Amino acid sequence: MVDIVNIRAHAKDLLEKGTVKMVLGYQRGTAGVLAEPAFITDAGQADHLVWDPTCVQNLALYLVNEKKAQSHQRDPDTRPIAIIAKGCDSRAVAVLLQERHFERKDVHVIGVSCGTLGVVDKNKLSKALNGRVATKVEPHGTDSFKVTTAEGFVDVAAADVLADRCLECACAYPAMHDVVFGEKHEDRGYPARFTALGQLEAKSEDERWAYWEGHFNRCLRCYACRSVCPMCYCPECVVDSIELMVDPTTSADEKANRIKWIERSAVASENSMYHLVRAIHLAGRCIDCAECERVCPVDIPIRMLNNKLEKEAKDMFGYEPGLDPELPSLVASFRDDDPNSFIR
Amino acid sequence: MTARRTGVFVCHCGTNIAATVDVKRVAVEMGQEEGVVFSKDYVYMCSDPGQSSVIKAIQDNQLDGVVISCCTPTLHEKTFRDVSTEAGLNPFRCEIANIREQCAWVHSNRDEATEKALKITTSAIRRVQNNEALTPIGVPVTRRAMVIGGGIAGIQASLDLANAGLDVVLVEKQPTLGGHMLQLSETFPTLDCSQCILSPKMVEVSKNKKIKLLTDAEVTEVSGFVGNFKVKVKQKAQYVDPELCKLCDDCTHVCPVVVPNEYDQGLTGRRAIFIPYAQAIPASFNLDEKSCLGLNPVVCGKCADVCEAQAINYDVKPKTYEEDVGAIVVATGFDLYGLENMGEYGMGKYEDVLDGLAFERLCSASGATGGHVLRPSDHKEPKEVVFIQCAGSRDPENHCAYCSKICCMYTAKHAMLYKHHVPDGQAYIFYIDIRSGGKGYEEFVQRGMEKDGTVYLRGRVSKVFEKDGKIKVMGVDTLAGRTIEIDADMVVLALAMQPSKGTADVAKTLKIGRDKDGFLAEAHPKLRPVESVTAGIFLAGAAQGPKDIPETVCQASAAAAKVIQLLSKEQLEHSPAVANVRLSHCTGCEMCVDACPYEAISLTGGGKAYVNEVLCEGCGTCQATCLRAAIDVKNITQLQIFDMINASIGG
Repeated sequence: MVDIVNIRAHAKDLLEKGTVKMVLGYQRGTAGVLAEPAFITDAGQADHLVWDPTCVQNLALYLVNEKKAQSHQRDPDTRPIAIIAKGCDSRAVAVLLQERHFERKDVHVIGVSCGTLGVVDKNKLSKALNGRVATKVEPHGTDSFKVTTAEGFVDVAAADVLADRCLECACAYPAMHDVVFGEKHEDRGYPARFTALGQLEAKSEDERWAYWEGHFNRCLRCYACRSVCPMCYCPECVVDSIELMVDPTTSADEKANRIKWIERSAVASENSMYHLVRAIHLAGRCIDCAECERVCPVDIPIRMLNNKLEKEAKDMFGYEPGLDPELPSLVASFRDDDPNSFIR
Repeated sequence: MTARRTGVFVCHCGTNIAATVDVKRVAVEMGQEEGVVFSKDYVYMCSDPGQSSVIKAIQDNQLDGVVISCCTPTLHEKTFRDVSTEAGLNPFRCEIANIREQCAWVHSNRDEATEKALKITTSAIRRVQNNEALTPIGVPVTRRAMVIGGGIAGIQASLDLANAGLDVVLVEKQPTLGGHMLQLSETFPTLDCSQCILSPKMVEVSKNKKIKLLTDAEVTEVSGFVGNFKVKVKQKAQYVDPELCKLCDDCTHVCPVVVPNEYDQGLTGRRAIFIPYAQAIPASFNLDEKSCLGLNPVVCGKCADVCEAQAINYDVKPKTYEEDVGAIVVATGFDLYGLENMGEYGMGKYEDVLDGLAFERLCSASGATGGHVLRPSDHKEPKEVVFIQCAGSRDPENHCAYCSKICCMYTAKHAMLYKHHVPDGQAYIFYIDIRSGGKGYEEFVQRGMEKDGTVYLRGRVSKVFEKDGKIKVMGVDTLAGRTIEIDADMVVLALAMQPSKGTADVAKTLKIGRDKDGFLAEAHPKLRPVESVTAGIFLAGAAQGPKDIPETVCQASAAAAKVIQLLSKEQLEHSPAVANVRLSHCTGCEMCVDACPYEAISLTGGGKAYVNEVLCEGCGTCQATCLRAAIDVKNITQLQIFDMINASIGG
């Protein structure tokens, strides 16, 4: 079990000593039951930190944002940032390190183990509560949550309200950390990895096409998925530029000749192109935090696209992202013992 | 800059293109494309009148870009870029649209093929209209060459290079030069003694001041590029100083270790300190650290005690040499397909079933038996010997698919030599067919049959096994249509040739390709047979494919000639179509650095990718890898690719 008191003490200690400039963590939210990101720079505020199954966000995004902000500062504070990271989040940090987005010394990873549980899915939770509104969710034993509502306490089975990714999680314990809270549990007793994907894959080609066409038709191209993704940190998105990157090295020709791979209009063909290219660009990088799917206002199962490529990379190249920041990335690496026979 | 005056030239290639593609229509329709001011077709654009018409059109119409719709750019890109230069147009504003190999030759429906030719040509027009005028990058040349492999191929190449005045580094893995040729007894079709014709060349190498010979050495690392390679060579510790060794042989008399002698194919033994052959170059004994009782700490030390010349020093360490060379010849030779692979022929378990090289050692005056053909098992003279051709060759199901080319000839020679050694013996040869193409080769085979009474049996041997001190050979004579059983005293297998064990590693280190059978791949099977796919690296000998001595020598001299040609220039031109970083989009993720096969990309202090243009080959791997479209190859930029795709899909 993770005791928040220990995390707070550690955060306080870091801030008091000044070894980090900020602790990225979670605090009680103001809108609903979910915790919200906290940016603690003052040791006195460390007591605001919380840790419970509503800490859903992947805070690695804010490491990326902070890096971007720093590049515009005249005299940036280069001390490391501490980040409270679940297993999945720590893998995101590892991928960012692999891609040299920042260096290992720039980040202090406070790992927290999800143990046998994980984080809740807000939609599943409200369904399970049948109209009642949760105000607090706490772990209860190894396989259920104790949910506080205005009407009193309810005990809910974890399997009913855990986020999809947590049900299939293979890294509930942070692989990379400077300090870690909580224990490692080998067998979590949930479905195997890629179970949900397997069900989708089992459908016929026509069924799958109809499934995705239906979803892509509804996409608004609000780009929430891209904005929340810690890996979507490119200064300009190749596939759909809403912000054009122009700097003193940009030539007039370049400005004049921007490539429009897809049209702006949010129609199925353009939307599917956007999602497919994004999925391909995340192959070997996506660590399945499923933030894209969580923030999607029209509930497109984006996670399944990324999951599919994660599975392909694992099956074809034995590659799993975010486990070793020293490895070359999937698309840039080549092995002599590659199973594909055309390479020799 | 966007070109606005494009010319299109459509070639008929006789009927090669015109039979399948309506070239007239292509020329007419292309003339109406945006930015195209001139378009014509001609029967042979590469002919002199064809080329002249291109020059005239460029000059008369002030063309600022040309597209030639013809064959593959690997054939005529250079031709037409030279034509452009002659006409005063930057050669990089000329592009080829391949409507032959990628269209006419692979389609039969004329309408569809014409449609495709239109799209291919339009996409090339769109590309050339955004081509930059580039200037080749000048690169200095190191006028020095390296030859890897000291067999007959490497020896010949080194001598040719040295005699042309170039400094040569010759690297050989074994302690002596000579390779497999030094193991042979006599050579077909003239039956001259192999060592007698090879050793003068070996001596010539050792005496030539231009050749730096590194034996016991292997190439471990290669960096750089054509004209300027940096090669790391690791040489094993030379415990016996070749300068001091007097070849007195005292050391072998005291050495207590006996191991099979690999230079005699294991037919004899040798000591841990030994000389591979009397003719070895460098002329020196060698200490084999693997079989020596112990060097660190020294547990025996007997050889050093008796060495009057004090040539033996156990404290010597391996050495690493760093050599700067402009070109490399790879001549790493062959190995025999192992006996152990031949399940049907005893897997190397029977002492009297030999491979061809072992039989050479039996026939050789310097070999295991002093030049007497004796069975290894009981040292008796074999009276009936069966030779089996195509052992491991031409058998795609079980072994190697290819023909090893030289086995027909050397088996004929083996049978002949056997008959000379054992006049009352009988030689049988099982064959599939006899391939004796070559000067004097067919006559040689006939002589074996007629004068030496070699019995040729057309058919395969199904099984070979030992019984009552004989080797029973079960085969079939397909011409007579009967099965044959021979109680032979000895069986010799003409095993397939395969690339030597080190070839795969060398290919990896040098980044040169191999073919499906593992032999080194030439750049073009007909027109560039001694070039590898990597510029500045050349191939010679059996590492490139099975071949006999005359052919090997030929190829070695050809490779040397190519090197001489390359290194005769003061400066090399490097293609300017190299990768280019869009700094604004680069995040410094290093994926291109990892992906670049030429190690041409690095990160600058500012955390952005930097391309060493001299190392870059413009392959575009970085471009395909970069998620952020932050790296482009000049003249095939993302924008150009986008335009080309649009043109191809009719957008």
